[in-house]
Amino acid sequence: MPSVRDVAVPSDLPVLSRVVTSEAVKAYADASGDQNPLHQDEAFARTAGFHGIIAHGMFTMGHLAAWLSTWAGGPERIRRLTAQFRASVFMGEAIVAGGRVKAVDVEQGVAVIECWVMVERDGKTEWPIRRGEAEVLLDP
Amino acid sequence: MNPSAAGKTYPATTFTVDPERVSAFRKIFDEVEGVPATFATVAEFAVMPQIVADPELGLDFSRVLHGNQEYEFRRPLREGETLEVRCRLGSIRELGGNAFLVLVTELAEPGGDVVCTARSTLIERAAD
Repeated sequence: MPSVRDVAVPSDLPVLSRVVTSEAVKAYADASGDQNPLHQDEAFARTAGFHGIIAHGMFTMGHLAAWLSTWAGGPERIRRLTAQFRASVFMGEAIVAGGRVKAVDVEQGVAVIECWVMVERDGKTEWPIRRGEAEVLLDP
Repeated sequence: MNPSAAGKTYPATTFTVDPERVSAFRKIFDEVEGVPATFATVAEFAVMPQIVADPELGLDFSRVLHGNQEYEFRRPLREGETLEVRCRLGSIRELGGNAFLVLVTELAEPGGDVVCTARSTLIERAAD
């Protein structure tokens, strides 16, 4: 796992991609307790104005947290994580989590990361999560 | 939604960091160890029914979108532990016909220090 002493500021972090499947979204509904039919029922999602089932915003944030945890060396390193939900994610799409180190506090062993989740749709880039920010404790 | 409900505090409940659910969470996102940072959403969802059913607040959940989410940890959650859940309505604002509710959920050692603070911004879209 990285140490704040070795992390360049700014530096881009490697991205992590995940294809969103209806099986994973159903498993997420059961694990999280969020059984909103928008995330399971095609007809309901269409009535609500979407062209298909959408993933939970928290599913996308869960992927962002997993990306961060992979880089930082475990979920217990994450001290703070924020996200703004800006676009829906449909089944079968690949969500890509990424970000960059914005600042480090060598004394505290903490890195500040700005992060995001993007998806390519019809030749355009959409941002399911924008302006995410995290603080991770790299050197406890 | 009733803006004067801002600041309302709900009766505390308890929440157990259920190892089976933690494991299901990890599996979905291919995490290998620990409690995923967004697992606290399970506690937020457990208190949601009483907020949705609160006549004083008058939230129309069928028009709700999730706008923003924040987690702050004093320490990581531990598998198997039972925490106290303290939930309050942080602020309620109207903008362009939409109403923005910030829900603050604290997970704390029973009778003690806060371990994790979750802030969810729920957007109640304008009625058609």
